[in-house]
Amino acid sequence: MAVTAVSGVEARRPVPRLRRLEDERWLALALLMPTAVLLGLFIAYPFIEGVLLSFSSARVGDAGHFVGLKNFAKIWDDSIFRTAVWNTFWYTGVTTVFKLGLGLWLAMLLNRHFKGKALVRAFILLPFIIPTVLSTFAWKWMFDPTFSVINWTLFHLGLISARINWLGDPDLAMASIIVVNIWRGVPFFAISLLAGLQTISPELNEAAAIDGARPWARFWYVTWPLLLPVTMVVMLFSVIQTFADFQLVYVMTGGGPANATQLFATYAYQIGIGTGLLSEGAAISLAMFPFLFIIVVVQLLYIRRVETR
Amino acid sequence: MIEGAAWRRWVFYNIPLILFVFVLLFPFYWMIITTFRPDGELYRPWNAANYMPFWTNNPTLEHIKYLFEETMFARWMLNTMFIAVVSTVISLFCGVLAGYALARLNFPWAGGLGTMIFITYLVPQTLLFIPLAEIIRNFRLGDTPWSLILTYPTFLIPFCTWLMMGYFKAIPKELEECARIDGASRWKAMLYIVIPVAVPGILSSGIIAFTLSWNEFIYALVFLSSPDEKTVPVGVTSELIRGDVFFWGPLMAGALLGSIPVAIVYSFFVEHYVSGLTGSVKG
Amino acid sequence: MAKAKRRSVLKLAGGTALGGMAGILASGRTPAYAQQKTVHWLKWVDFVPATDTMFKRELMPQAEKELGIKVNLETVNGNDLQPRTTAAIQSGTGPDLIMAFNNQTYLYANSVVDVSELAEEVGKREGGLFKYARSICSDGKMFMSMPWAVIGGMIAYRKSWLDEVGATSFPDTWETYREVGKKLKAKGRPFGQTLGHTFGDAPGFTYPYLWSWGGKEVEADGKKVVINSKETVDSVKFMTGLWKDALDEGGLAWDDTNNNRAFLSQTISATLNGASIYIETLRKPDQYITEKGVQMNKDILHAPLPKGPAGQFGFHLLQSQMLMKYSKNQDAAKEFLKWLHQEANYRKFFESQKGFATPCTVKWESDKLWDVDPVMTPYKVAARLGQAPGYAGPPNAKAAEGLTKYIVTDMYAKAVQGMPAEETVKWAEAELKKVYEA
Repeated sequence: MAVTAVSGVEARRPVPRLRRLEDERWLALALLMPTAVLLGLFIAYPFIEGVLLSFSSARVGDAGHFVGLKNFAKIWDDSIFRTAVWNTFWYTGVTTVFKLGLGLWLAMLLNRHFKGKALVRAFILLPFIIPTVLSTFAWKWMFDPTFSVINWTLFHLGLISARINWLGDPDLAMASIIVVNIWRGVPFFAISLLAGLQTISPELNEAAAIDGARPWARFWYVTWPLLLPVTMVVMLFSVIQTFADFQLVYVMTGGGPANATQLFATYAYQIGIGTGLLSEGAAISLAMFPFLFIIVVVQLLYIRRVETR
Repeated sequence: MIEGAAWRRWVFYNIPLILFVFVLLFPFYWMIITTFRPDGELYRPWNAANYMPFWTNNPTLEHIKYLFEETMFARWMLNTMFIAVVSTVISLFCGVLAGYALARLNFPWAGGLGTMIFITYLVPQTLLFIPLAEIIRNFRLGDTPWSLILTYPTFLIPFCTWLMMGYFKAIPKELEECARIDGASRWKAMLYIVIPVAVPGILSSGIIAFTLSWNEFIYALVFLSSPDEKTVPVGVTSELIRGDVFFWGPLMAGALLGSIPVAIVYSFFVEHYVSGLTGSVKG
Repeated sequence: MAKAKRRSVLKLAGGTALGGMAGILASGRTPAYAQQKTVHWLKWVDFVPATDTMFKRELMPQAEKELGIKVNLETVNGNDLQPRTTAAIQSGTGPDLIMAFNNQTYLYANSVVDVSELAEEVGKREGGLFKYARSICSDGKMFMSMPWAVIGGMIAYRKSWLDEVGATSFPDTWETYREVGKKLKAKGRPFGQTLGHTFGDAPGFTYPYLWSWGGKEVEADGKKVVINSKETVDSVKFMTGLWKDALDEGGLAWDDTNNNRAFLSQTISATLNGASIYIETLRKPDQYITEKGVQMNKDILHAPLPKGPAGQFGFHLLQSQMLMKYSKNQDAAKEFLKWLHQEANYRKFFESQKGFATPCTVKWESDKLWDVDPVMTPYKVAARLGQAPGYAGPPNAKAAEGLTKYIVTDMYAKAVQGMPAEETVKWAEAELKKVYEA
């Protein structure tokens, strides 16, 4: 195929080495230019603006003036902010553990041959594909205090007699958003881990079985180490997304009840856009960044270590 | 795989699998059934008698009608589709070029730039949306689809680049070398040799970018304001929660119909989506 | 095979893009509209659906005919008005007229156009502007918004259910409120109240509750935070007991619509509300039937919030229209607003509301609409008697900030969830200090 395509190109003498190097650099510049422009204009520049904003006293309609770290001191003092920090960590931690566990389980269930496998694989990705806002509405309806179908089912199974206040009780509300996040994320984990599993030769496991290893040992000593690189990358993506989550909480609970499900992103929105205190909102958003950065660096280092093992 | 007797197969594999599939798909079933259920049946308290939630004997189209007549739902679909397609094209263009440059070319800051692009993926949109609003204002793009078309690539390009890098790295260098020996310039080799081979990768990036665009919410929420400019997620959220009645019927209809385009496009490209997803993870 | 697939893919993608773009261009702005004046008006989704229908089908077309101005009326959920306003101001483009609630107007003082002229004119014409409306919409130097209407909040209750537990009229003190509620809750019919972050019913309940016990946020000088007082702590303690004894505990997560739905599906017996519950039962009399087979609208009455040791108060939602500085259609918007307030046109609004909204000028208080339905008569004094957040100080930007941060509401919500009363009050004090001493 390559040969037929090239035959149309006119023959030329090979380019001298010097010219090629410059050629490469110039080409790289040209190829990266569109990306650089877009990302520079719409990420780098606003990021710097956002940092400056968080050091100012701007509110809606009022540009404000430089106030140094005052906003950060203010939000650190703010008990709702501290609640949001705790909530975000808890939310991210719990959902990631469950998504990993359930995703891995599902991946192993799918890692065999059965009829309709391709169809099942296609269908189970749906929670991840469908826009978050829309599927979250379906869950919100399922959790509705007065009309919940889940309550109906539990009631008719005889498991409850009074209704469960999914979105009204602070702990249950957190549990509810965790459930929906897990529901959304398990397919992503499952499919990615499945691909990882499929690169592991089945002979390894069979050999271990022949040597007398029981299923759990087989998993822990054969499968898991080989799966680690993929697992770490999947977790990295997932943690980043979950930590900065906005849509799910915004639709389900709006941060309530009484800030029980308030996260970094939703609180930043409420303060910045809701109340119009732009500089404080920016400070809250910015406060997310160091935590995220540390988490990512730790994970990247771990990945590097795992890969070079 | 080491499975064993038939009963073991059922208990350890089939039943859990069925449970998983059920839980993962039930909300969609719920969406569908609510869409076609008349209002009278919809608003029955959970512990009322004679309440059969899982099926309805009186399917109705009134919610869908309401959706199209009382809101600009059709317009929102068009908007979202337009924005998603154009953003995807832009992101693919940038991502393919950048991915090639980072995967194939040797130049001083290659590694650093790659890391930079990855870092931009970390910057949360909730930090950027406030200053971005001002930039949008300065360019007079507020309340137009272009405010989104130009900002969506900020999270689509890193992903596309990352993915394409993986694909390009997997293409043997010999392919290009042959072309260059035959006299093609670097650029032509890239255009006519490497990219056509990477088409599956491009399709994968494209479909993932497309679904990510449909999924975006906060920029659309903040930059758009007129009802006829809204995207589906924003429109459904802002116009179907009205006063006292939560309008669950049309809301679910909106959620259902809003999900369908993405589901359809996805269904044509499942293999590509999966390989893209897994490729990004392995790469 | 791959090539064919690729081609069909490209065709599909291209076709979609073209189709999308064609659709946009076709349905988008045509040159004809470029000449006509348009005004984009953003208001809340009215809790009385008939009003929005009337606006869209009658009044807006009428405005177009009489003024030559095309009005683009957009309605959103009340809780979304503030974020939309901030986003619009930030991006420098958005609706020309935006509805504001209560003293949010102070938050946007820098971004709105002074409408004193119109406000004074209408006030003079209609017997005077109520003090409440004036204090919220004007800061003494300018009118930040044009007062529109006051949504009165009263307790809607099921008369027959209260009769069954021996209460022939609605309890008028908090103690009797708690007793009656206790009896009703035992029968599965608790009172219902929201303590969530929602603009209407939550502050509408918690602020007057606080005031009726003698608590207040700041002194009259508007500077000293005095919420941490014995009166406030007493009110919080009482609320904790009241919540468990008499109220539907799901109320922590409710927004402004949940109590309506709970009442209409007969799971609660009384709730503070604008008149939307009653009006809804009038709208669909055969859909809302009580367990005795009677139309529900015949079983509903309204009463003001109970008295506390320090008196009886009400916090009624004031709605006003802001004319935005960034607007490029200011003249048209002013013209439209003026037209809207002409008696014949405003009356259409007033009558479609059936008493849900109380106008801000004296003249309308004696209108005969109030005599049509005695169930609605209590609402007519809403504009006269309203008291604003920030009491005892002025309802200025700081008060608005305190309101939008739901500090008072959260004080009660936290207590109900288990925090000791003294602590929640201390917390509220600290939060208010941050607002007032910033």
